[in-house]
Amino acid sequence: MDQLTRDLASVLAAAAPLIFATMGALICERAGVINLSLDGTILMGAMAGFSLALAVNSVPLGFVTAALVGACFALVLCFLSLSLGQSQTAVGFVLALLGTELSSFLGAPVVRVPGPSVPFMPIPILSEIPIIGVMLFRHDLLIYASFLLVPLTWWFLFRTRSGLTLRALGERPEAAFARGINVTRWRYMACIVGGMLVGIAGAAYSLDLKQGWSYRHTFGMGWIALAIVIFGGWRPWRVALGCYLFAALEILALRSQGTLRTIPTQVFQVAPFVLMILVLALVNLIASPTMRRRIASLPKPLQSPVAAIVNRIAAPAPAALGKPFERP
Amino acid sequence: MRRPPVHLLVLLLLIVGLLAACGSAPAAPVAAPTEAPVVEEPTEATEESTEAEEPTEATEEPTEATEEPAEATDEEPTEAPAVSEDDEYVFGMVLVGPINDGGWNQAHFEGGEYVEANLPGTRFIYIDKVNPADRPNVTVEQAVEELVGQGARFIITNSAEFADGTNTAAAAHPDIYFLHASGDGVLTGEAPENVTNLMGRMEYGKMIAGCAAALQSENGRLAYLGPLIDPETRRLVNATFLGAQYCWETYRERPVEELEFKVTWIGFWFNIPGVTLDPTRVATDFISEGYDVIISGIDTTEGLVEANKAAQAGQNVWAVPYDYIDACAQGEEICLGVPYFNWGPRYIEIIDEARAGNFMARWEWLGPDWSDINNLETSMIGFIKGAGLTEENGAIIDEFIAKLAEGDLQLFSGPLFFQDGSEFVAEGAVATDEEIWNTPQLLQGIEGQSAP
Repeated sequence: MDQLTRDLASVLAAAAPLIFATMGALICERAGVINLSLDGTILMGAMAGFSLALAVNSVPLGFVTAALVGACFALVLCFLSLSLGQSQTAVGFVLALLGTELSSFLGAPVVRVPGPSVPFMPIPILSEIPIIGVMLFRHDLLIYASFLLVPLTWWFLFRTRSGLTLRALGERPEAAFARGINVTRWRYMACIVGGMLVGIAGAAYSLDLKQGWSYRHTFGMGWIALAIVIFGGWRPWRVALGCYLFAALEILALRSQGTLRTIPTQVFQVAPFVLMILVLALVNLIASPTMRRRIASLPKPLQSPVAAIVNRIAAPAPAALGKPFERP
Repeated sequence: MRRPPVHLLVLLLLIVGLLAACGSAPAAPVAAPTEAPVVEEPTEATEESTEAEEPTEATEEPTEATEEPAEATDEEPTEAPAVSEDDEYVFGMVLVGPINDGGWNQAHFEGGEYVEANLPGTRFIYIDKVNPADRPNVTVEQAVEELVGQGARFIITNSAEFADGTNTAAAAHPDIYFLHASGDGVLTGEAPENVTNLMGRMEYGKMIAGCAAALQSENGRLAYLGPLIDPETRRLVNATFLGAQYCWETYRERPVEELEFKVTWIGFWFNIPGVTLDPTRVATDFISEGYDVIISGIDTTEGLVEANKAAQAGQNVWAVPYDYIDACAQGEEICLGVPYFNWGPRYIEIIDEARAGNFMARWEWLGPDWSDINNLETSMIGFIKGAGLTEENGAIIDEFIAKLAEGDLQLFSGPLFFQDGSEFVAEGAVATDEEIWNTPQLLQGIEGQSAP
């Protein structure tokens, strides 16, 4: 039991950077902009956050730097795609590559240098509660922040007027425009805030969960974050679930290494990614039109309950995701 | 028109505020030594990432690595002003990792600095991070060419993987002397005449490390964070295990069966994302599986850092880092001590010989100076006790070291068996140097892979 609680606690902790990254991507995509630069942004955030924290010996400044770097990347994306009308996917992809190489290049002086990290901070009384205390309240501030971020994002998107506007941008920007909303400026805003969160995700790795910096330190996490957003159907809670699932898979893979000796270690490192892709494929399959036809061919009494389940699982992307908006 | 929302900003501020609060607590330990060269980097990174116009930066950057040592030397040779530029004996070093990793490479780097400071008329230059992850297209040969181009007449290469590269480079430069640290090209006869080998008998350091771990462990479950699998790393794991087993039985008076010893190999000397296992993960996993001492065999300090975090979280966990004398700095309270290399003194002798024209190719495997293993002027390896060790256990460690020093405690003595049950050392016999050097397997009783 102890073991299990500790494991769950480490899953909750391990998913923290992914939570930041996915919530950032989620906000951006809900506003109709697809930010493919995530992987590069996370790396840049990790590198910049770590180097600055090391230089001035201040972890918070490291996070602020990472957030600013993330914002800059998002700004470039927005400027090229929203203002200059270039393809969001192409620009995002190039930015991802740029971030990867640039971070390796600029981060060279701090490669594998020991540095500062987020201090551990159990919450006094709450951490004494059996099981729950160990799981939730024996972490550091960054991880507590990741716990809060999910409900906060949900509340913002689904319970505030601004959230509604933001979602309208992703679904039907024309309608939002008709209601007198400056689509481009809003999208800029959403993307930059999202980018900041993504940058923080990077620093969350380099200053906390994967301390330090090295060449391609966060390896592929941005792409996984993008996949998890799709898996979660652009809904904060489900996206968070995806993050925790992925973190659990990673830890499970590491565990299996000890028991299944004959299998090369690389298999275990790649396994979570492969499993994630499979889950993604499955979810998309369920959401596909073929599935609709299959349901229609089912016996009558089964049709509506199956359709209900499928509709619950399948979550469509924001309708205007990735599409340029032109003033009518 | 509706303005963009303040909510977004509130959300952002909340998060930034939360994070900023992190730092109000005293910032976590930072390695003190040699972080200076880094300082200006990050601010550039943040300003410039917006626009992709990097090239000007780009051209300045690569030269920096080679300029740095020159800067460093400008300050030092004040002691020997008599020596003119021409008489200066330049020696170079090719390092596999960064010079400030708090581990293997820093130990070598400081060995080089020690030579420069104590052997008048020498100048130290280096190229670090020569590995496929940090410099994908740079080979040892190229690094050597670069150093020779800068005037190096003696070159140290510091990684077992550099064996072939060192031999090739040495064959191409018969007039330059090479020291391949941790290699055995001279022993096997593969190295040209101008190559010598040097390694410390870290087996002793590791025995002490294992002993400290066994003494302090509460449950007798020790974990070893291993790098890649080769004879060197195998013999070090075996030595650690033997030290642990001995102290567990002798001082703790507990049966051998109750001692658990597990090795997980990450695949290289340090973390290379996507290539090796992530040592941070491996370490946290050791802890969550209930191992209470993490003994590091890798070049970097993840084992200690993670154990320190867990200890702060209230778990009783300790760690033994490796390689570098100040490695404990990353987590003083839970550090049981560190076995370290002290390359400087022997480097001086070898370089001095080479300068005088008396270079000799040897395969050297030097033990500690048993009169005082922590004498930095004479001892090749040492062990610094950490704050995590209780006073009582510290005294036992001293006793254990004394026993090793007297020579009547031979841990590599029979009967010893390998993991597959075959005999390593027969009853009554003691393993020879070459048998230990070329250790083909882990010992029986160790949990973990023997071969890649």
